[in-house]
Amino acid sequence: MAEKKDTDKTGIEFIGSDLEEELFDDRNIVGIAINKEYARWAHRATNPDAIPGKPEALDDMVVIDASHGSFAGLFASSILAEMGAEVIRVEPPGGDLARQMTPYGMMIKDSGLGYLVEGRNKSHITLNIVAEEGRQYFKKLIKHADVLIETYKPGYLDGLGVGYRQLHELNPGLLHCAIHTYGQFGEESQKAANQPDYDIIDQARGVIMSITGEPDLDPEVPPQYKRPLRQGNWMGWYAGGAWAGFGILMAMFHKRKTGKGQFIDCSPPEGLLAIANYAMPYFHMSGRQMPRAGNYDYAVFPYTYVKCRDGYIFISGFTDPNWTALCGIINRADLREQFPTIRERLNPENQPKIQHEIEKFTTRYTSDEILQLITEYSKRPDKKGTVATGRLEAPLEVLQREHWSERRTFIRLEDPLYGEHLIQNSTFKTMSGTPGRIKWLCRPIGADNELIYQKFLGIGRGKLQQLKEKGIV
Amino acid sequence: MDRDSSYEGFMRQLFDKEKLFEKPEPLKGVRVLEVCYVVLGPAACDYLAEFGAEVIKFEGQRGEQMRFVTPFAYFWKNLSPGLEEQNHNKYWVGMHLGHPKAKEIFLSLVKKSDVVVDNLMPGRMKEWGLSYPELKEINPRIIQLHVSGYGSWGPWTGRASYDAVAQSMGALSPITGFEGRGPIKSGVWIADWITGLMCAAAIMAALNYRERTGEGQFIDYSQVENVIRWLDWTWLYTSMTGRNRERSGNRDLAISPSSLFDCADGWVALAAFSKEEFRGLCAAMEQPELCDKYAEPLDRLQDENAREILDAVGRWAATKNVTEVEDLAGKHGFAASRVLEVKDVYHGRHFRERGAVQAYDDLLYGEMVEPCYGPRLSETPSRLKWSARPIGMDNEYVLTKILGFTQKQVRKLSDDGVVFKWNRQIPSQCPPPDWDGKQGVKYP
Repeated sequence: MAEKKDTDKTGIEFIGSDLEEELFDDRNIVGIAINKEYARWAHRATNPDAIPGKPEALDDMVVIDASHGSFAGLFASSILAEMGAEVIRVEPPGGDLARQMTPYGMMIKDSGLGYLVEGRNKSHITLNIVAEEGRQYFKKLIKHADVLIETYKPGYLDGLGVGYRQLHELNPGLLHCAIHTYGQFGEESQKAANQPDYDIIDQARGVIMSITGEPDLDPEVPPQYKRPLRQGNWMGWYAGGAWAGFGILMAMFHKRKTGKGQFIDCSPPEGLLAIANYAMPYFHMSGRQMPRAGNYDYAVFPYTYVKCRDGYIFISGFTDPNWTALCGIINRADLREQFPTIRERLNPENQPKIQHEIEKFTTRYTSDEILQLITEYSKRPDKKGTVATGRLEAPLEVLQREHWSERRTFIRLEDPLYGEHLIQNSTFKTMSGTPGRIKWLCRPIGADNELIYQKFLGIGRGKLQQLKEKGIV
Repeated sequence: MDRDSSYEGFMRQLFDKEKLFEKPEPLKGVRVLEVCYVVLGPAACDYLAEFGAEVIKFEGQRGEQMRFVTPFAYFWKNLSPGLEEQNHNKYWVGMHLGHPKAKEIFLSLVKKSDVVVDNLMPGRMKEWGLSYPELKEINPRIIQLHVSGYGSWGPWTGRASYDAVAQSMGALSPITGFEGRGPIKSGVWIADWITGLMCAAAIMAALNYRERTGEGQFIDYSQVENVIRWLDWTWLYTSMTGRNRERSGNRDLAISPSSLFDCADGWVALAAFSKEEFRGLCAAMEQPELCDKYAEPLDRLQDENAREILDAVGRWAATKNVTEVEDLAGKHGFAASRVLEVKDVYHGRHFRERGAVQAYDDLLYGEMVEPCYGPRLSETPSRLKWSARPIGMDNEYVLTKILGFTQKQVRKLSDDGVVFKWNRQIPSQCPPPDWDGKQGVKYP
């Protein structure tokens, strides 16, 4: 059968429908989507370039973030700020302790790296609430607010006359969100009275840390490493902040319908214990606690990290068909026979053995080579199941990946005061109607005093200067 | 510092547990259709369900994967703990949305619902004729959220992803682990849970906006992007210095001192970063010279100094019991706590008093004790009503009470295989072994 040939003016021949593919190669949008039209539509609906013109979900909200030394408070207000809320950071005249929470003490002007990441879209003022006069201004500011976020020791603001009981009288619609390790009441509240909230404490009290770390039951692990391990990031604080943000949004939804405010008591450890998998139901049902499993998993295995020639990869094959597939790929039918059902594979004594046998194979190849072998197997008509894999990417590698660059997962912001910096973008940016966005990086201590004091409290430059001299601002 | 003890009393009263079920729910009247499986999607819907949303969950004939994922293959009254953990207060329908008649039923529900959530392969809902433009046709106010590893578009869309893939590709595991040792996966499926939470927050923002304007929208959410977002100063640091963020065990590279220490009788987490807090710690340690040398927080963050301070604290903590360190922290104004295990939280009074752990009497399974999602809201608190349920247990309830099908119509759908219930040969799909055929049935 003769091929239909098209020739353009240059006399070069194109054959058939490949022409369309070549001219409209939008693999950067459709990837390996099962439905390319869907991917194209989703891209049009959530195109990052179209964000500036689109409305903001929360731009009718005023949020006072008076948190101090807490990335829980800061992440909560970041969620709201990314979606358009007017967030006003209230710091003591010397600045928030959180600005100094930075790796190895690295500072950029008056701000550490952690603070720069969460400064997004927030106005910054200073106010000394320890002084009686400062508290007068604080109360006036609160009258304008929908939300107050604070992280003081429980009872501290109440003792100063600006706790929930007092503020609720002034502003019945106020959503007062207090974030602290122990919460505002409970048997442990005596401790809370004089202890600050820190991420390591939140993780320690969140149950997850007790079951994270090198595997208890693996004899090859040296004893000094058999101990609880924190997540490398500020998981306690970010979880606390996310729960607080979620709670505030629900309370705001209720307020829109009823006009009523309320108090939101957020304890970050509670936010972690609530997501500790089946730890509590399993304990209730069986009376048993899970041991630390390391990279093993006693509910689903193999589902683990293994060494390969150029680092580590994740590999899974836990149901019977998928385990058969995995054994096929690594050419070890004997393992399939030795560990035939999930009961053998979920036995803690067997998991180190299975792991080491898999590594005998994977350490001979790079992660790319292993991905290729798995992909080739997945295309075979006689494949027995599916094996999933992923690479453990170091931060430098993540920053190179095209997928994140296409989706604007990271952005470079040029700030007039802090310079040009790369930070992670809002994850709410792919909402079709009201995408989240970052408008500015951060503000120095007190940078917005003039604007905010004038706009909300009618205090002009002269009076503001007097207040500065008195140490109120 | 003296704290007015009436503050704690006031707070206890505000959150009076006796009044829990008298208080309204913030998401009353919000109906969510859950087309999700495993942990990520169901968790997002679970958060909404505990705050009062009516969540209807659809399962295919094989059942949710989590019916078969459970520690050491343990089942209790035919229930998998792996299923229970992210499925509370929901309505269970056995229906495969790829079936044309099932799709019709689903669209009737869409007309009366507020939110549709899926965590299937991106594009699957479109294959079934259930993409946003099609749903919007039926219900202009609908909010649809899709969540998957890489999202609905981009060079990697379509790639399979699990929780551990997100921990790997988002660099969470690479920065977790002891100094000089390998990367460690979290002890829980953390990327699923935290991503589900941010999805719930996105849905709440969309509901807030809809309250203002009447408009719904489509939300695309990527799990790996979410892990990336939660990695605090990692990306700024690496892009500035050209160096990878390193694993540092329990030591916090940005707060000094902050780590886990060995006491004589166990472990204690301890932190003291402000000048006052560090002064308090040094007073407790009876080492004022340490305070003179390292008063400034930024000085303490220099690597050599940080290590010296951690050694000093470590040597001191080893001479104390955990309780002594905790008490000294309270007295001197720094932070210290033992590491809590699940049994401490289960048996301790603190979390139960606060409603963070709730006991309830489930209609099928009897007494259950589980965490209840936070945060604690004084006027519209969360609450646990019932557990995970067998496949299709609420078919009649949903079809009759919400859609108005007659008993005859429901029977026909069942006979035609459009809706189905549990397979008696597969225990983890079924009610408890001693079920009497009536307990826990919502309708009739």
